[in-house]
Amino acid sequence: MTVVPAQQTGGGGGSSGLYDVLELVLDRGLVIDAFVRVSLVGIEILKIDVRVVVASVDTYLRFAEACNRLDLEAGPRKSPGLPEIVGEVTEKGARGKSKGALSGAAQTISDAFNQARQEGETESRPRARKAPSRSKEEQE
Amino acid sequence: MSTYVYGITSRSHPALPEGMTGVGEPARPVRVLTAGDLAAVVSDAPEDLRPKRRDLLAHQNVLAEAGAGGCVLPMRFGSVATDDDAVVQVLTERADHYAERLRELDGKVEYNVKATHVEEAVLHLVMAENTEARALAEANRRAGGGSYDDKIRLGELVAHLVKAKESDDAEQVRDLLAPAATAVSVGPESTGWLLNVSYLVPRDSAERFLASVEEVRQSHPHLDLRVHGPLPPYSFVDPGPAQPAGTTTGADAGAR
Repeated sequence: MTVVPAQQTGGGGGSSGLYDVLELVLDRGLVIDAFVRVSLVGIEILKIDVRVVVASVDTYLRFAEACNRLDLEAGPRKSPGLPEIVGEVTEKGARGKSKGALSGAAQTISDAFNQARQEGETESRPRARKAPSRSKEEQE
Repeated sequence: MSTYVYGITSRSHPALPEGMTGVGEPARPVRVLTAGDLAAVVSDAPEDLRPKRRDLLAHQNVLAEAGAGGCVLPMRFGSVATDDDAVVQVLTERADHYAERLRELDGKVEYNVKATHVEEAVLHLVMAENTEARALAEANRRAGGGSYDDKIRLGELVAHLVKAKESDDAEQVRDLLAPAATAVSVGPESTGWLLNVSYLVPRDSAERFLASVEEVRQSHPHLDLRVHGPLPPYSFVDPGPAQPAGTTTGADAGAR
């Protein structure tokens, strides 16, 4: 048979890119009631629980630190002239390595996802709550 | 031996992926079962099938391969029938429905778009737009970082502003891309992304859709847009006509 490059993936790559597609494989697609589905225990839970990161004290502190660094980088051209600087930095940022602003959660998820996979043999415990705190350590 | 089902397609599909391998360790050979005008892409189901990454990828690869040659209705990962006969029976009983879906989705592919903020860029934006946040940050900086409470106050405000920006951006991007698509399916929310939307796009206008994505990248440089496709139309297959609500296995519940 011929092997056609069936899929092009742009703007992603890496483990979060992989997760982006696998999320569809896991959550969407045709479900037929006459067939059974393998147990996905330990996978879905992860995605739902990462939400808790958003409104946490840790997130606030992280943002506060980030804003601190932000101003330092902007140096003498801060406050009044900020919009110009925004333009520059925005472009640089968009091209460079990026991360979800609220939690870096794309990474969090794929880490947790990999972890769940590795531990898939043992019955999965609701381990999602560990994932966010783990990722925070990584970021600090 | 139970049968793992990857997808349903037309019997006349020009390039069914016979000879390739699918899920399991070792990977099980992919076969094609036919019934009337329909065909199912299947393999033997491994006894101990779990949602491991290599199996998820195998599922996706088989569908990508089959989808490259024509329309395939992709099954959700992990669909297992008791045996080949059970698959043939389903194809036979619901032939009209699947034939209709295949006609409807013929020539169309799914593009999934996920977006996240580029942290530094979005922080600059919200600081530029909000004088209170700017003043707080300024005060904290002068105080060598500020007290714990000062940091929390600033952080909470900024988190709030960023969250509002997430909603705005999600709505904008969703609407900017919609005109280039035939159908739109909004995926589950998560903090992993601020936008998770699938677009059904006719194959022959994929370039137009991707051009729209590029325009959004230009107009929203503080966003990291991740586009995946062409994919089989995962988000645009309907549940079977005879499927009463709530009959899917417990594992589905989390996706809702």
